Amino acid sequence: MNIYRYLAAALLGMAANVSIAQTPKGNVLIKNATVLTVTQGTLENTDVLVQDGTIKKIGTNLSAGKDMESIDASGMFLMPGIIDAHSHLALDVVNEATAPITAEVKMSDVINPFDVGIYRALAGGTTVAHGLHGSANAIGGESIVMKFRYGTSDPADIVMKEAPRTIKFALGENPTRVHGRGKNIQPRTRMGVEAVIRNGFNEALQYQKSWKEYNENKGKKNSTLTPPQFNLRLETLSDILNGELIIHCHSYRADEIYMLINVCKDFGVDKLVFTHVNEGFKVAPELAEYTMGASVFSDWWAYKFEVYYSTAYNAAILMANNVVTSINSDSDELIRHLYHEAGKTQRYGGLTDDQALSLITINPAKQLGIDEFVGSIEEGKQADLVLFNTHPLSVYAVPQMTFVDGVKYFDIKNDDDDQRLKVSPSELVEPVYLHAEHERCMHGVELFMEEGQLFNHAF
Amino acid sequence: MIRRLTAVFCLLSVISLYRTSDSYAQSDPSGQRRVTDLYAITNAQIVTSPGSDAFTGTILIKNGLISAVGKNVTIPKGAQVIKGDSLFIYPGFIDMGSQSGVKKPEEVKHPENLDPSNPPNEIAGISPESSVLDYWKAHEETMEWRKSGFTMVQLLPQGQMLPGNTALVILGDQSSNNIIRENTGLYAQFETHRGLYPGTTLGIMAKFRELYKNAELQSTHESQYGSDQDGIRRPELDHSLSAFYPVINKESPIIFRTEQALEIRRAIKLQEELGFGLTLFNVKETADLDAILKESSANLILSLDLPEDKAFKQDMEGATEEAKTSHKRVEEAYKKALSQAGQLEKADIKFAFTTYGVKKQEVLKNIQKMIENGLSTDAALEALTSTPARMLNIDKYSGSIASGKMANLVISDAPIFSKDAFIHYVMADGYLYEFDADKSKNGVKDADKIAGKWSYTSETPGGESQGEIRFEKKGENLTGEIDVDNPNGGGTITRELENISFDGKNLSFSFSIQVQGEELTVNTKGLVEGDKFDGSISIRDMGTYSLKAEKRPSTTF
Repeated sequence: MNIYRYLAAALLGMAANVSIAQTPKGNVLIKNATVLTVTQGTLENTDVLVQDGTIKKIGTNLSAGKDMESIDASGMFLMPGIIDAHSHLALDVVNEATAPITAEVKMSDVINPFDVGIYRALAGGTTVAHGLHGSANAIGGESIVMKFRYGTSDPADIVMKEAPRTIKFALGENPTRVHGRGKNIQPRTRMGVEAVIRNGFNEALQYQKSWKEYNENKGKKNSTLTPPQFNLRLETLSDILNGELIIHCHSYRADEIYMLINVCKDFGVDKLVFTHVNEGFKVAPELAEYTMGASVFSDWWAYKFEVYYSTAYNAAILMANNVVTSINSDSDELIRHLYHEAGKTQRYGGLTDDQALSLITINPAKQLGIDEFVGSIEEGKQADLVLFNTHPLSVYAVPQMTFVDGVKYFDIKNDDDDQRLKVSPSELVEPVYLHAEHERCMHGVELFMEEGQLFNHAF
Repeated sequence: MIRRLTAVFCLLSVISLYRTSDSYAQSDPSGQRRVTDLYAITNAQIVTSPGSDAFTGTILIKNGLISAVGKNVTIPKGAQVIKGDSLFIYPGFIDMGSQSGVKKPEEVKHPENLDPSNPPNEIAGISPESSVLDYWKAHEETMEWRKSGFTMVQLLPQGQMLPGNTALVILGDQSSNNIIRENTGLYAQFETHRGLYPGTTLGIMAKFRELYKNAELQSTHESQYGSDQDGIRRPELDHSLSAFYPVINKESPIIFRTEQALEIRRAIKLQEELGFGLTLFNVKETADLDAILKESSANLILSLDLPEDKAFKQDMEGATEEAKTSHKRVEEAYKKALSQAGQLEKADIKFAFTTYGVKKQEVLKNIQKMIENGLSTDAALEALTSTPARMLNIDKYSGSIASGKMANLVISDAPIFSKDAFIHYVMADGYLYEFDADKSKNGVKDADKIAGKWSYTSETPGGESQGEIRFEKKGENLTGEIDVDNPNGGGTITRELENISFDGKNLSFSFSIQVQGEELTVNTKGLVEGDKFDGSISIRDMGTYSLKAEKRPSTTF
């Protein structure tokens, strides 16, 4: 993977966005904490000074600026804000399950900043989440990286503007069931999924060519070329071919993982992350060599046939093979305690503290292309921080305060019973969906299916 | 001889002069033509435009236009004089969006091998090329909105994502087609045909962008084809895309139904990306949006539908503290919803109203609620008259009372937004419509005794007719509807019940039917004993007939 090209793209992306309104940035001094930097070891009795949303200084005996809140964190543990590489939280719609490729849809269009799940995630130390399209389609929509700036009514405020574009792909049972069995169209098999993706890329190449030709001749004297049709789906696919998007691919089996690696190789696409990846341990060297990593569950499997061959050692094996590995939630509930999920890798695989913490901080940041901004406690990085009562990998760990850009959005001492941002003027009791969090990945799909009962499983 | 001929010529020319005047029109064997189109409403309290003080004066109407308004207006001979003492006159209301009288297009038959991922536009709910006027079938239904003071209505097509274009009509006489302007905008909604692309808001956003861009490209291609350059491929015209041209050329807006804050933001996002004129339609939530609404050039159309005040009716005694706290938040949210219009006024954001999804009898009641919660009466009137006129670009000839403007008036027997106000007359396009002031306070006791389905039989000179009356309990009050034989043809029609009153024994209500363009009010009253109702119906000038009804046993508990 060409990191420099990618960094350049990220920087260019930033430059294009300077005109966008400012989100809140805070100033705070956290004193005498045990600082788990993740990338630069653990620092005892250390102060972290945050100015204008950025970590200004890490050291001892730092003093707070004027009017700056100073927090005595003696006996407490400070870690980087937790990053979830796979979530469907705070999205009004998850699946546009009507076509095998829907690369034209954008999750940024359906962000719901009023979702109380944002606050719950903050209460579990999660500050950044990757909001993905569901797994109904071989190629789903463009995803969105969100910073949980709770309290805003403007969806644009919780978008992490520095993050590069990402897109959801999905292999295996979900797309074949929805489209093949559900609607009798391609893909009906794993071979069909590959064909759908290859056809999509090939169409995008032709599309690029026709527009290039048109644009080069536009305005030239005597040109008889007329504008080609505009196709947002192929626009996005050709942007993938141009390296402007990172693919995050829902996958379980080793054969299909290797299949997509080959497809991407054939089309010169190198920004690729696999998510779920339950059989990733079988192709760990290939994942290490060719991809930006794997985002796995800690110990969740057997909820459908393609997810039986699994192990809780997956993360540890991948890490041992130098795969950039993260642990994700794919759930509005698990997102509230990803530190427990990371801790399981110490029981299954004996990862060190820093390795385990990297699964939910710097590694997902790398997979989302935002590791220069977040994912560790380093001077110059954005001040997304969580203060724990004890070491976050302890089963007794409880987040005490959560900061995004130096602004405190959660404080356990200041935690109201009712943190909803929006209340219905006429519903006396708002409906609560007990199982909603377990069906996010296929959320909304049953609406389109006659055999709806087939979809009562997770992910 | 010469002198006699001259006399005849003189007489002829005098006759022909008379003939050009409408008041002496040609013979009318049907007897339907009105006696005069010259009206004088005298000595009334006139509010000529929102914000101006009422004054006592006279309005003269001729030929569908206001020909004079003032304190000293000479009343010409032949005018029908309406004594306006104790009446209040306002400009006719304008409804920025209604589907009243607009029929749903027939569902397009799905082809045998329909690919749900790529359905034809008309199946996917995308038919911007269709015109609402082609589906405006039940004019009488639309005309009933006069009762709530409306004189002009922007009609909206029924359907899904892009159901068609809208049109402005006047609630005038049946002898006219009543069309003021066609194609006033393209109607858009976050509605889909489930299971077909686009199936969700995600798909709609993408599809909208794509349609718009391709409409622009088709337009480019067309102008290339029309240029001097030889050898240009013939454009394959797509009529769905051509329908966007007036929007692209900024001649008419996209009228986007956006009720909640996030929908509003989504529509504004599309507007900012693509650059079209936007009307935010049927808006129910504006809190937190002041800044963005102020910044945006979009027209704002508020819903007249208000949430139910369930929270205030709930008895919270004995509830837990937690329940009380959360209940309080619902109350606050309810108050906030009612005070939105007032907040917008304070922020100096102009808005108009729509009756979309609102019952006729709730229009004035809901405006009163908004006024109780901070909206000024001036701003309320503005939102019903001058602001919509400006948004529709018809303020030159409507939206206020002035000489030369269309004769659209609302005439009430008390200040229009006061609790006791009853709309006594409405004048639309110079035609006068009178409504019965049934001012008997319609209290309802023991609503449960009445709520349910009743089968009725009525004896009239036309024979026996049967049907169903359905009452529903709404709070302590009753709402209801009745199925009656269609007086204008086969089948039955359903009419809303009004002025329902029940004191435990005596039940009365009224409803209206249209017979040959004339609106008749049917008053019903009688005694309820157990599950039986024995009463009569009466129609003014037509007589009184018996009506018996029996309550059907409930099938639910």
